[in-house]
This record gives sequence, C-alpha cells and structure tokens, in this order.
Amino acid sequence: MTIHLSIVLWLPLAFGVLALLVPRSLARWVSLLGTLLTLGYAIALVADYDTAAGGLQYVTDRTWIAELGIHYKLAVTGLNVVLLLTTAILFTAAALWAALRDEPSERAGLYALLMGLAQSGVLGAFLAQDLALFVVFFDLMLVPFYFLTLIWGMDPDKRGAAVLKLFIYTLVGSLLMLVGAIATGVLAADGGSVSFVLSDLQQHLLSNGSQQWIFLVFALAFLIKMPAFPFHGWMPDGYSQMPIAPLAVFTAILSKVAAYGFLQVAIPLFPKAAVQYQELILIFALASVLYGSVMAFTATRLRLILGYSSVAQLGFIVLGIFALNERGADGALLQSVNHALVAAPMIFVVALLAARAGGSEDLRDMGGIAKRAPAFAALFLILSFALLAMPGSANFIGELFILIGLFQAKVAMAFIAAVGVALAAVYALRLYIRSMHNRVGPQVDSREISLREALVLVPMVLVVIALSLYPQFALGRVEQAVKQSLSAATATAGKETP
Amino acid sequence: MSTQTAAWLVLAMPLAGTLIIALGGRILTPRMAGWIGTSAIAAAFAFAVVTLVKLQGLGEEERHVASSLWDLANAGGLRVSLGIYVDPLSVLMILVVTGVSALIHLYSVGYMSSDEGYTRFFAYLNFFVFSMLLLVLAGNLILLIVGWAFVGAASYMLISYWYRRTTATAAGIKAFVINVIGDIGLVLGTFFIVRQMGVVDFGPLFEGAHSEFAKNDPSLVAGMILILVGAFAKSAQVPLHTWLPDAMEGPTPVSSLIHAATMVTAGVYLIARLHPLFEWAPTAATVGAIVGALTLLIAGTIGLTVTDLKRVIAYSTMSQIGLMIMGVCAAAYVGGLFHLMTHAFFKALLFMAAGSVISAMAGQQSLDRMRGLRKAMPFTFGCFIAGGLALSAFPLMSGFFSKDALLFEVGQRGGGWIVFYVIGYIGSVMTVLYTWRMLYRAFWGDPCPEAVELEGGHLHHAHEHTNPANGEVEDTEVGFPGAEHHIAERTWQMKVAMSALAVLSVLAGLIYLPFGITDTFEKFLEPTFADSIVTHPANDGLEVFGVILTSVLAIGLIAVAYRIWAVGEGRATAWQQRLPLLHRLFVNKWYFDELLDLLFVRPIAWFGRFSRDSFERVVIDGALVGGTSGIVRAGSSAVRALQTGLLRGYAGLVMVGLAAVLLYFLIRAA
Repeated sequence: MTIHLSIVLWLPLAFGVLALLVPRSLARWVSLLGTLLTLGYAIALVADYDTAAGGLQYVTDRTWIAELGIHYKLAVTGLNVVLLLTTAILFTAAALWAALRDEPSERAGLYALLMGLAQSGVLGAFLAQDLALFVVFFDLMLVPFYFLTLIWGMDPDKRGAAVLKLFIYTLVGSLLMLVGAIATGVLAADGGSVSFVLSDLQQHLLSNGSQQWIFLVFALAFLIKMPAFPFHGWMPDGYSQMPIAPLAVFTAILSKVAAYGFLQVAIPLFPKAAVQYQELILIFALASVLYGSVMAFTATRLRLILGYSSVAQLGFIVLGIFALNERGADGALLQSVNHALVAAPMIFVVALLAARAGGSEDLRDMGGIAKRAPAFAALFLILSFALLAMPGSANFIGELFILIGLFQAKVAMAFIAAVGVALAAVYALRLYIRSMHNRVGPQVDSREISLREALVLVPMVLVVIALSLYPQFALGRVEQAVKQSLSAATATAGKETP
Repeated sequence: MSTQTAAWLVLAMPLAGTLIIALGGRILTPRMAGWIGTSAIAAAFAFAVVTLVKLQGLGEEERHVASSLWDLANAGGLRVSLGIYVDPLSVLMILVVTGVSALIHLYSVGYMSSDEGYTRFFAYLNFFVFSMLLLVLAGNLILLIVGWAFVGAASYMLISYWYRRTTATAAGIKAFVINVIGDIGLVLGTFFIVRQMGVVDFGPLFEGAHSEFAKNDPSLVAGMILILVGAFAKSAQVPLHTWLPDAMEGPTPVSSLIHAATMVTAGVYLIARLHPLFEWAPTAATVGAIVGALTLLIAGTIGLTVTDLKRVIAYSTMSQIGLMIMGVCAAAYVGGLFHLMTHAFFKALLFMAAGSVISAMAGQQSLDRMRGLRKAMPFTFGCFIAGGLALSAFPLMSGFFSKDALLFEVGQRGGGWIVFYVIGYIGSVMTVLYTWRMLYRAFWGDPCPEAVELEGGHLHHAHEHTNPANGEVEDTEVGFPGAEHHIAERTWQMKVAMSALAVLSVLAGLIYLPFGITDTFEKFLEPTFADSIVTHPANDGLEVFGVILTSVLAIGLIAVAYRIWAVGEGRATAWQQRLPLLHRLFVNKWYFDELLDLLFVRPIAWFGRFSRDSFERVVIDGALVGGTSGIVRAGSSAVRALQTGLLRGYAGLVMVGLAAVLLYFLIRAA
C-alpha cells in the first residue's frame, strides 16, 4: 500500500476550504467528513507502519527552497506514528461536537476552514523531518487559534486581551525558535552547503557552546507552548476565552507538539546541551508538576482546574523526557497520548456541566449534578480516574515508566514528583465531587447526557479504556525511535560518567 | 478445566456482573440487579472451589501456577503482563473473598431494598469484588498495584455511595487520597526492586531476591518499607488509619465487606505474598511488626471510649489487623492468615448485626441511645453474641484458635519477639473489654423507646430523615438513604447470610486446632511458605500456656465488663474521672486527625492560597507577563484597537504572509 503523506497532511485543510464553499448548513458536515477521512488514513498508516523495521517510513522528500537548503521532507517514525493517530481522533471528536451541537451558530464555514488549517498545521509539525519546515508548521498551527478565540471566544469583552497575551507569548517563543533554527542550519553548514534536514543536521552536530544557547532557545519555546511553570502566564486567560471544541484540541494536542519537539529536535540535535541542562529542565518540570497540581485544587473555574492540571501533566511528560533514559522517554510519549485522549473529553465535560449549572463554569455553582444523570456520572468518573492516573489506566503505565526512568536518573526528584501524583488525586476527585456530588446547587438542573452528547463522549471514553487495556499499543511503537532519539545524549552522558 | 482457567473464571464472574448491571441499568429492575450481582459472586465462589480442587490435584512442588493473557507494557527492558499467580495463598484469599462477598451480597439484597440507588450499589459491589480478586490473584507487582488501586476506588465509590451527604463525600475523598499515598509507597518501593532485578513477576522475583540483594541490603530495606507504607494505608495502620473510622459513612454492608472482612486485610496478604523479600530484609519486617503492634494498642484504647456503634467495630477491625500485620511481619504466616479468615467471618457478622440494630434505631448509631435491645431482636442479639464471643477469643470459638495460633507462632520465635507476644495479649485484654462494653450497652438494661416499640411489633421510624452525623435534613431520593429500614428479624436474606456467618464464626476453628489435633489449614498453606527461612522451634510449654492464658483472659474479662457496663451504673464514668488525661486522649483518638491536618493539609492549602492570591498575580501575571499586561493596561488604545479589529488584522497578516511564502516556494519546488 502506498501512503502519500502529503495527502494526509493537506486533507483537513482541503476540506476546510471546501466547507467554506458549500452552503452554510453543510459546512460542519463537510468538515466532519474531512476529519473522518483523515482518521481513516491515519488508521491505515498506523496499521501499515512497520514497527520492526523502524526508521523513517513513507518518506516524501523534495527540495523546497534550494538556496536555503530547506526541504519539504515528511516521514512517519516511531515517535510520531501514534501521535498522528491521536491528532486525527481528537480533531474528529471536535468536528463531531461542532456538527452535532450546531456550533458555532455563525460563520460555520470559516470555523471549519480554521479547524482544518489547525489540523494540517499539527500534522505537519509532527511529520516534518526538516527543521525549517518544523518551525513553519509549529507557528502555522497556532494562527487559527487566534482567530477562533477572537471570533467565537467566550466573553466578547475579554477575548481580545486574552488573544493578545497568547499571541505575544507564543510569538516570543516562535521568534526565538526561528532564530535558533536558522543558527543551527548556518552553523552546522560551517561554510559548506546549508541543509535543514534533520538527519543531515544530526551528522554535523554543533560545537558545545553553540549547542548550549540554541538548546535553551528551543527549550524556552517548547516550555512556553506547553505551558510549563513559570511560562504559563497566557494560559488562564487563553483557556478561559477559547471556544470549547478548539480548546479541547488545543489543550490535548498542541501542547504535545512541544513535548514531541524535545525528542524530535532538541535532544538529538543538541545532545551535549541536553545532558548539561538536564537538571535545569527537570527542575522546571518538577515545579510545573507541583505548582500546577496545587493551583488545580485551588481554582474553582473548571477550565482553570483542567488548565493547571495540564501544566502538571506536561511537567510529568518533561520529567520523563529529561530522565534521558529509555524508560522515562517511553513513558513520556505514552503519557502524551494518554493525556491528550483524556484532556479533550474533559473539556467537553466542562461544557456539559455548565449546561446543567445554569451556564456557570464555576464549581461553586455546581453540586449534585449526578442525581438524574447516572450515565454521565459514570463517564465523567472514568475520565477523572484516568486523569489522576489511577493504576489500571494507560495514564498509570505512562507515569510509571516516567517515574521509574526518573528514579533511575535522579532518585530524589522521583520522590518529589510522586507528591504530584497524590495531589492529582486530590484535584481530580475534588472536581468530580464538587460538581457531581454533594447537595444539589440552587441553579443546578440535573439531566442525563443526551444522545448527541453521548455520541461524542462515549467513543472517547471507549478509546481511553481500550488504551488502558493495552498501553503496549503505543509503547511498542515508540520504543525503537526513542532509543535513537536519545542515543547521542546517552552516549554523551556515558562519556562523562565512565 | 485447568487450575488457571478456573482462576480466570473466578475473576471473570464479578467483572461480568458489574458490566451486566451497569450497562443493563435501564432494562433491569433493581431486584434483578441484586440477584444478578449475588449470583455472579456465588458463581465466582463456585469457581474458586474448582480452583482449590484443581490446585490440590497437583503435586506439592507444582502448586504455584502462573498464567498471562497479554503484555500491558513491554518497553525499555521492563515487561508487565496481564497475568495471575495461583498458589495456596491466593486460593485461600479468593475463597474467603468470594465466600464472604456472596453472603454480604445476599444480605444487601434485603438490607438495601428500599434504596433508590439499588442497581448502582450492586454494580459497585461487584466491581469491588472483581478488584479484590485481581489484587489477590495478580501475578506481578504492577498488576497487584492495579488491583490495589481498584479496591481503593471501589471503596471510595461505596463510602460516598450516598453522595448527596457532604459527610459521605468528605469521607470518600479522605479515604481515596490516603490510599493513593499508599499506592505511591507501593510504586516507589517497587522501583527499588525493579532497579536491581528488572522484573516484576512474582516467580522470578522470589527466586532471584537472594542472589540479587545482600541480606538486609539498604535498598531492599528501603523498598520494603515503602511497600509497607502501602500496606499501612490500605490496612488502616497508624498513622495512615484516619480514613477508616470515617469510612463508616458508607452503607453497613460496605463496612462489613470492604472495611472489615476483605479490603482492609490486603496489607496482611501483601506481606504474606512478599514474605521471601520481607524475610530477606528483616529490618523492614521489624518496622512492620512495630507499627502493627502500635496500631493494635492505639486502636484498642480508642475502641474503649468511642460511642458510635459502627466506629467501635471499625476500631476493633483496625486493632485486629494490627495484630495480623504484627503476626505476618513476625513470620507467623499460618496463624496470621488463619486469623485473617476467621476475622473475616466474625467481623462481617458483627457489622451485619450492627446494621440490623441501626435499622431498628431508625438510623441512629450512637451507643448512648441504645439500651436493652436483647428481647426486641433476639436473632440479631444471637448473632452479635456469636460474633462477640469469637472476637474476644472465647474458648472453642474460631477466634480463640486463630488468635492463639498467631500469638503462639510469634512466641515461638523467642528472643526480642517475646515483646510482641506480650503486646498481643495486652491487645487481647482491650479486645474483650471493648467488645463486651458494646454488647452490654446495646443489649442489656432497660429497653430504650425504640426497643419497646419493636417489642410491640412496630419498627421505629423517624419523623424526619436526618444525617446522623450532622443532623442535616434529607429526603429519601437517590443520593440519600432510602425510606424503609430492614432488620434481620424480618428479612430472610439478611437472616440466611447472618446465620451462615454465625456458624462459620463458631466452627471455622476446627480446621486448625492446637497441639496438632487438626492441621488441615497449615498443610494447605505449606507449599506457599516452604521457602521461608524462619524456623518455628517446637515449644509445648508455651503452647499450653497460651491456650490457658487466652481462655482465662476471655472468660475473666467478660465478667469484669459485665460488672462495669451491664450492672455497675456509673463505674465507667468513675474510671473516666479517675484518668481524665488518658480519657481525653482516647476520646480524641490520640489527635491523629489534628496532627495530619497540621502537618500536611494546612501547609498545602496555604501554599495553594499563596500561589493563587499572591504568586500567580504578582510574579506570573505581573513580572513575567509584565510586558503583555503592561501593554494591555498602559495602552488602552491597544484595547480599543482590538475591538476595531487591529489585532485581527495583525494575526491575519501573519497568516497571509505565511501562506504566501508557503505557496511561493511550493510552486517553485514543483
């Protein structure tokens, strides 16, 4: 079977354009069809991908800008294969949500176009095997979210400021990364012909000094994007204003591009710096875990609880990556998939809760929602348990591998990170209990999940359960690629500590 | 059918029950859900018996069978399979768990029948049994942790079963979080072992431990102590016990099944399961024995002063499990597990009887309100007596033989372990006293109004439904207890379940009598503990002494308790006044709740408030986003510009620019 990555990459955008052209009532369904086709393509790709062979597969490589040595090079690897599928699943869920709930009520065509562009951007960032191309997609995927928030954001008075914050923050990150990328290409060429292809750059690693500053630049861009403590300043406002479906994919999958960037770009290209700054990054990650968790159980607005919980969960992922050993990084990639699959339906749950609490998204206005909604309560509870990484969930296997990797690298840090695990139990259950249980709130109108809502939520919960029964599905596919991604760094570390 | 097939079917039954009840919620009538749940567990018990027969059919050397379905994870040189490990120890556990669970399901069919959440109750209860079976059958440490966490989750869901009661949801989250702390202990402990050995499967783990670790290797000791933290949290040992008394917020069958008979004994099972590792790290084993002994004493003293009927039994459970933990840590495996089994019978029975009493009191649980219920509820009274006699180790009752066996094995080790032997008997003194304090106060004396009403043939009903913990008014819809109360005297399902347990409480001792009269139980467990490196030298004198001492203590102290609480009006108060400080310490439960609050809850809450109110605002939003918010604040023009669409234009420009560049080079490339 031949798989053309350009097709899977641009399919969502093509259907987005199509959605703009068809009658308005059809736009959402065209968009859904596009995500479904992409999902089908992604499933075929995962089924066809040869895990045993590993390496780059289905490579598309054309010279894009010859003078600058930039290639339009796409490939599926062990690192991105499961993330591609996850992306396709989540955008399908978001499109389904929009189609079934007739959201947004205005300018549905434009909305579909922007979501299509976002999906193509994310897929491109995952597929890119050229540093410049990666940077382009990394920036491109953010642009639609500015518009989505600006046009359909929650509060017309506040969304502008939120977008500005998000924009400036991520712009700083993007510019830094652009500078870093250009510097990498130029310095690596060392007067010869410039190439931004990742495999070429790995052949010509930079000198120690250059690696250091460029690594920090990339790390900063990724940490902002995640977001990690203390670079999460854009998150509270951004999360509060973004419309539900875009927020679901944003929190679920865009943050993972940054985590993926560490393994795909930063560590293989700057291995010495990665080893050198290991502890620094670990400390930021550890702070994210603790700070995010504590904030998550102090916040009362549901989106912020989930936002801060993301800060903490991304902290765990970074801990796993920067354990700089296989177990940790395997766990980090599994956890990227897990968190994406849980965070997105959780955002939808927020909308369902708000609809039952008189429109408020504040925990203090909730309580007793489970009373007439046992099925909804069950779905929500399963998601909450997965979010807190209860043993038995795939999230647990992810955290287990992350922590065991960290334990082997830095014992003390593993113990501190374990505190975050306990705090996760507190904020996840607090969220559940204070919305679903206790006395029925004054504005609460408890009603069962509707068929339309269930059509989105139930398949997502089933995916979470399925992965929990067989987390090896993801682990088995990433193992080889993770080993390669870390090889240069572990070799460096090995030399330093004989 | 092979041994492993039978064992997998044991696991499958309650899982199927859970799924059928949960997914068939709308189609099934509540009654049907109750009976499906009960039958699923009865079927699991039947398969457990088949497993037993099949296992006994194997040679003694082969009585440990591992079987796995698929790999959950296999990466980075660490393999975790979905596998089970069947040996005499796990078979004993599945028999006890499924047997007692089946009876408690039957009891619940009657006891819970007026509750609005009846169907949900049985789905949870079946899920709990599945989790508990997963815990005891798990073939590796990771799957054990999964079962371990699942029982914690089931316990949480059932404690918070009446979920509109804020007291119940608070108790639920407390139990869950303390258990998560235990889970983390288990996970971190596992890391110490995995780092060295690279495997998590029990077979290779037990065989390799002695060659991979030196005896009392610091990292093995650290790992085992962390694993003990898990055991302490689950089995309510100090200082991680504070969730158990609160867990009594759950319906009484839940207290009976989870918080007395099965889940809370998981710590004992864990230590017995991992005995090759604990014996190789004697320091950790000693730590476990000390904590068990402390719990035995502390819980006993609190049990003597607490006035809530269910909480007396809860503290008694804590104390008895302390005894068992002390036992298995001292390598008294056979006695410890024997006590685990008999305790499951008589403690489940005591809770069931307490449930019946509480129903007769229309939900009231305070011993201060109860008096003279003996004549009003003769069957319940009989069961209470049977359970009470077994708990206080009255001669020839099951508890007599099991406690005796446990303490004898501890004493056999001699040396410093004699301290634990003595503590065991001090604990016994308190056990007899609090048991009979409870019995005499509830059943002796002049009947209270509720008892009189019941004697007249009418079951008391409160005018208004209230939460006994805080007096809040409740309705009887879903999320609160149902309208009707059910007592054993009038509900045949309750009567059958309690009768079966009463018989077991009295007779179960027969399978393991002292002086080698019967040794069925010991012989059965032998293959599991054949690799034990601890010897138990014969000591006939000690054995005779133990039997006599246990008998004298039980009979003598029941008489003393009679003088204090049945006939001696005011004697208890006199003692309280004589020892005011001690009494205050006991009544306030040794201030453990306050201590944990001060050490952990408050600092974290303070940190949370500080982060939210100060740090987030000043540092994150002020300093780090200073540029951004500065722009927003200073340039009100910028804000105005936003509304006119400047930002939109700006972002649009970026996109158009990007698209143009993209398009240009795409065309060029082509």
